[in-house]
Amino acid sequence: MQDFLRRLKAAVTGSPGTPLVLLGNFEVEERWAGDVPGLPKMGFSTSSALVNRMEEFTLLLGGPDDHVLLKEAPDPAYLDHLAELGIGLPRILCAARHDPQRTVTQDVLDDPALVAELTGLAARGAWLLTHGTSDLEEELARRTGLPLVGPDAATCRAVNSKIYSRRVAADTGLRQAEGWVAETVGEFEAVAAQAKGLLASGRTVVAKDAFGVSGKGILVVRDEQRLDRLAGMVRRRAFKHEEDRVALLLEEWVAKKADLNYQFTIARSGEVRFDFVKEALTEDGVHKGHRIPARLDETQVAELRKAAQVLGERLGADGFHGVVGVDAMVDPDGGIYPVVEINARSNMSTYQLRLQELFLGPGQVALARQYPLRLGRPLPYADLRRLLDGLLFVKGEGPSQGGGEGLIVNNFATVNAAGPAEGAHPVEGRLYGLLIAGDRHRLDDLDRRIAGRLAEESERSTS
Amino acid sequence: MTTDREKIVFAVSEALAAVLRRDQATIGEHTRLFDDLGLDSTSVLEVLMRLEDELDLEFDTDSLEQRHFETVGTLADFATEQG
Repeated sequence: MQDFLRRLKAAVTGSPGTPLVLLGNFEVEERWAGDVPGLPKMGFSTSSALVNRMEEFTLLLGGPDDHVLLKEAPDPAYLDHLAELGIGLPRILCAARHDPQRTVTQDVLDDPALVAELTGLAARGAWLLTHGTSDLEEELARRTGLPLVGPDAATCRAVNSKIYSRRVAADTGLRQAEGWVAETVGEFEAVAAQAKGLLASGRTVVAKDAFGVSGKGILVVRDEQRLDRLAGMVRRRAFKHEEDRVALLLEEWVAKKADLNYQFTIARSGEVRFDFVKEALTEDGVHKGHRIPARLDETQVAELRKAAQVLGERLGADGFHGVVGVDAMVDPDGGIYPVVEINARSNMSTYQLRLQELFLGPGQVALARQYPLRLGRPLPYADLRRLLDGLLFVKGEGPSQGGGEGLIVNNFATVNAAGPAEGAHPVEGRLYGLLIAGDRHRLDDLDRRIAGRLAEESERSTS
Repeated sequence: MTTDREKIVFAVSEALAAVLRRDQATIGEHTRLFDDLGLDSTSVLEVLMRLEDELDLEFDTDSLEQRHFETVGTLADFATEQG
């Protein structure tokens, strides 16, 4: 049963049976940012090979009637294990040449035979569900004739900007931290002067890239001197390039008890449907996973549902339809900040939905996690399966097979994505999975044991 | 020159220790920023700002390249070029 995807198909394509082609172009924000300057940053990424392999998440969102576009075929032992669990997988289509530094979209666009095959799927009624749509995904849609599930790239980019989030929150009266937006260097200098008022009263400020990936592209500012430094860097760069545009925000860094992520879908008719809310686990602002269900009371959930409706109506009026993820926060007193940022795309939590629908029984709890690995040699799935023996998901007893517990890996490609080549120094990998258990205590115990075994493997692999 | 270089290496290791919450004594000229210290793109800007404060210089952030961030020593070289 695939409630979410069938609902999405019906809402956007008009039929719950429309076949989809899924494309996991993660960190599409990099593309949306384009040449508009945000915070000064390095002109390189240390994790792009790993991020580009996050495309494998689509494997567990699509169903047997769908197709997924991957950079490289999944480890056969991983596919065997998913089949053992009874998961009906989508048809896998791989690009001819996998370049670790390119996104899945770029690899697909570079493969004429695959583009031709997708053109055939379009003729048979398939649609393209991207992670988020930039000019590259628009080009793929144009070249194949696959209609996009969401709106065009310009609309997605505009809605995804944190500047848009702040303006919509202000227009609709949704609570947000005090803050300002800047689209020119002059505006940034003016808002920096206002933000100094916050610093002078002992509060902390955060500078954000309007197109930063969640948790990246932020700078916490605790004193006026640091804010002057930042303004100086922005001004010097603008002078050098004769470029007056920026896309930046300054906000008060407010105290919080928890981060939240909720999702809603906007139908072509404009109807808004609240999909879920999860508690987002972050460490130093960087995403580490989700807790399901979120620890919220009915009043808090009702407030989020109301915010989703308000935002959905506004986004629909601005030309958006499809999947929307919103980051929110709970303040230390339990109050809600219902819109910290709007993501005009699928979210990590979107890709956990099918596993939840298939395996999360009544009263059970789940934790979506990413575990860091440091590998001196590749780790095949068969070895990982042995390593995590006794901790991997086993279905429950009885005819319904409900109530099962353990870890289901929901992205294995990211484990070995960054190499390692023989003889090279160790590289970072990530294992993503969904943990299911009967209660919080068992879940946290499972999490600790998995983390422990993976840490031991990293130690062995690099020694 | 040696004195200047030592001063810059010390400032780089001090900035990294403060931003990444590490013991400065464990950071030497050959320590690798990403592999050994876990520096990430979010922390780089803060490290550079601390160095601007400490060394009284202004970085040209457009000229940042991966090679400048290999080790404490290469970042110290970059800071020297900017001075």
